[in-house]
Amino acid sequence: MTRTIHLSLDINGRRHELDVEPRVTLLDALREHLALTGTKKGCDQGQCGACTCHVDGKRVLSCLTLAAQVEGREITTIEGITGENGDLHPVQAAFIEHDAFQCGYCTPGQIMSAVACIREGHAGSDEEIREYMSGNLCRCGAYNSIVAAVREAAQATVKEKMEVA
Amino acid sequence: MTIMPPRKHGDASDGVVGGRQTRFEGSLKVTGAATYALEYPVENVAHAVLVQSTIPAGRVLNVNAETARAAPGVLLVLTPEDDLGFTVASDWGGNRPENQPYYPLPRHVQFNGQPIVAIVAENREQAFEAAKLVSITYEEAPHVASLDDPNAGEGKLMGNLVFNWGDAEAALAAAPVQIEGTYSTPREYHVAMEPHGLTVKWDGDQITVWEPSQWSHGMARTYSEWFDIPYENVRLISPFIGGGFGSKGAALAHGAVAAFAARKLGRPVKLALTRPQNFTNYGGRAATRQTIRLGATEDGILQAIVHRGASETSTYADWPEQTGAATPILYKVENFSSEHRVVPVNTVTPGALRGPGKNPSSFGIESAMEELAYKLGMDPLELRLKNYADHDYQSGKPWSTRRLREALTEGAEAFGWSRRSHAPRSMRDGRTLIGWGIGCGTFPVLQAPSEALIRVLANGRVEVVSGAIDMGQGTYTVLAQTAAEVFGIPVDQVEVHLGDSRLPGSAIAGGSMLAGSILGAVHKAATAARDELIGLALNDENSPLRDTGANTLTFSEGRIAVPRGEGPSLSLPELMAALGRDEIETRRNTLPDGASAQEHHQAWTTMAKVQGPTMGEYSMHSWCAHFAEVRVDEDFGTVRVSRIVSAFDCGRLYNPRMVESQWRGGIIMGIGQALLEEGLVDMRNGRTVNNNMGDYLVPTNADVPDIQVISVGVPDYGASALGGKGVGEVGIVGVAPAIANAVFHATGKRVRDLPITLEKLI
Ligand code: FES
Ligand code: FES
Repeated sequence: MTRTIHLSLDINGRRHELDVEPRVTLLDALREHLALTGTKKGCDQGQCGACTCHVDGKRVLSCLTLAAQVEGREITTIEGITGENGDLHPVQAAFIEHDAFQCGYCTPGQIMSAVACIREGHAGSDEEIREYMSGNLCRCGAYNSIVAAVREAAQATVKEKMEVA
Repeated sequence: MTIMPPRKHGDASDGVVGGRQTRFEGSLKVTGAATYALEYPVENVAHAVLVQSTIPAGRVLNVNAETARAAPGVLLVLTPEDDLGFTVASDWGGNRPENQPYYPLPRHVQFNGQPIVAIVAENREQAFEAAKLVSITYEEAPHVASLDDPNAGEGKLMGNLVFNWGDAEAALAAAPVQIEGTYSTPREYHVAMEPHGLTVKWDGDQITVWEPSQWSHGMARTYSEWFDIPYENVRLISPFIGGGFGSKGAALAHGAVAAFAARKLGRPVKLALTRPQNFTNYGGRAATRQTIRLGATEDGILQAIVHRGASETSTYADWPEQTGAATPILYKVENFSSEHRVVPVNTVTPGALRGPGKNPSSFGIESAMEELAYKLGMDPLELRLKNYADHDYQSGKPWSTRRLREALTEGAEAFGWSRRSHAPRSMRDGRTLIGWGIGCGTFPVLQAPSEALIRVLANGRVEVVSGAIDMGQGTYTVLAQTAAEVFGIPVDQVEVHLGDSRLPGSAIAGGSMLAGSILGAVHKAATAARDELIGLALNDENSPLRDTGANTLTFSEGRIAVPRGEGPSLSLPELMAALGRDEIETRRNTLPDGASAQEHHQAWTTMAKVQGPTMGEYSMHSWCAHFAEVRVDEDFGTVRVSRIVSAFDCGRLYNPRMVESQWRGGIIMGIGQALLEEGLVDMRNGRTVNNNMGDYLVPTNADVPDIQVISVGVPDYGASALGGKGVGEVGIVGVAPAIANAVFHATGKRVRDLPITLEKLI
């Protein structure tokens, strides 16, 4: 099978054109074809969460998603969540402050999950954060700090919302 | 790779050695900009995949790869028929057999999951597709699947792991109180989040390897030996490593295959092991079994320890997972006997996994001590304090520092141990049984030489340059802190270059020896650079500090000045400009003066210069005491760890924020070991059944409670130049027995074989 298909993907607000085999996953499209290597491959079989991205604002495992499935959808990766001026997203800043990583390999996936977890309204308590962040493994064992970082970023988001309202 | 620090930083005092500086490379990691091995943009790269054996032992009779060769995109198929021309490289100690051929794709199969065939294609998808088309016929031979195989036998005694003093058997026989228990641990795996893999590129006879590495120089040496090319021709690049835990210290068969293919094809090759292949292409922790007999007086004074242990190894190399490693040094004991055997089975050779030896060893002795405590009717904390070792009974040497007593008492205090009721099943919350347990841990201080380079630039920036690596322990951060302290500048004026075998040599990031070693070298080089600057500043005719009459200068808050003087003060760039210097560079190492070039090479590329914990006047180790609380569902037998307090003596902490993270990481891995982790082997064919992250369970966020960590250490300047002892390994040691002991306290059931799964409790 050598047939390639043409895809036009909307990633981090930019259009990317690529010719790939139909069996190429979103994860491999990002990492191997578009040089967007912030999204990590930990297992390639939907078990670790390292490849977590957002599609239309919802978290997905990009290793279980074909690139061809997400044409016309809005894809966000770790490279796309920093502010225009380069300012870190509050979740990213909280991860640094709480030392919520060591090797950093699970981190982009953790952060993408955390952003979605807060948006989903699943960061109400430490217990809830633990549960809704459990699809993202961290073998370095940064879990305590991840919970602290998500808690802090969630509180900041709530505060911000209240101020806006 | 040059790492710039995050702009945000806390207190100025965070930026010196001992401060809580946030992770230096943090912003790269949270933005996805940190580049791991397989992420380097290499032009025109071809993709390799491996086909592995499906039998545990025997011979490859034939490989039918015709259809694979003809499949779309396939560039190369390598089979045992191909002579790759390798010779065996040196072992860790630097010993190399003469002219012994090395077959990374062997005909002789020694374990299920051994690489047999490699396929290289234009893209990964094509390579995988073609791999499915390969058929291999074997002649099977009898196999031994695991340590539990009835045909495994007793194995062989490791002569260097026999320790005796006093008369253990006689003292045991005479002891009024005795206990005996057999403890076992299963195969366990590293499961670093970044799988193994590499990209290789040749330029003539120069090779560049992008591969995650805990030891850039040691692995570069292996590649040079395999290909019989000068060491200088190899460059191994590894600025970021997605976790190693002992698995990324050596070049492996898949590296040899990828490098060969790249040379043969004349184009770069990338080989990424699949997650399942990460379970068989290198070894995890060997399964272990040990029997411990303790004898004590009625008031709980240990009289004798008799220990007999075994671990599995492969059929082609002896790797002892030393079950007797912690047994002799945790307690005061006048009569001691320990032996360890290795049992060859058809597995890939096991390897070092966090806390090698000490970890299963402490599961044995720390479980046994609690069994003794219950036999005596004594508080397990009291029993441990009663038998406190005032010196090292094995070597006879005094401890350099040992704050295990403080770890036990301060840990107990923070945990609330005094509120415990002794009887099993006596603490509960409705249908939930609650149990508390203790486990102590230790890891030796290993010392190794390192080298470092410091460059002071005209713009006042200071560069730290070393081939050392950072897999998350905090090397970037603590080296920046070291340089910042010496030059009295903020951390963000420092740049750190790491993870490249072309940079100055360094100890392996393993055995908890890197920080102590490399900080010593960086501190020495930075101090030398500062001294050189002082010399120039006081003597150079263009220096404004020349006629101050001072004989030294201070470096503080970014300014260089006369001590206590009123005189001028200059910033680093101002001084460099006054001196007319573009840069000042110093390179220093911690080898003895006058070491030869050969000794340098040996020091960075082998373990030959590593010093054990008792090679000097003292016995030097890190220590810890874990206190665990478990909640066990009485009906279903499910165990949840609800609380952990751990107190550590790791000497001086170079950056407590980073150290605490490493300790917690070790403890969490210990929770996995206690309750979840177990490599399952199919006895029929030696296959690792649960070779993936969904079936080999590691702790998730929801499995882990808040963990309180406490430092009770004091600087130990015998252990390292700056007073620290090892941090990374010790955290896991003693966790599993603390949890097993808590489970016993909760349920009255003593589980002696890990992991503690629910069927063992109901
Ligand atoms: S790489 Fe997608 S879940 Fe692991
Ligand atoms: S930081 Fe290393 S796996 Fe999470």
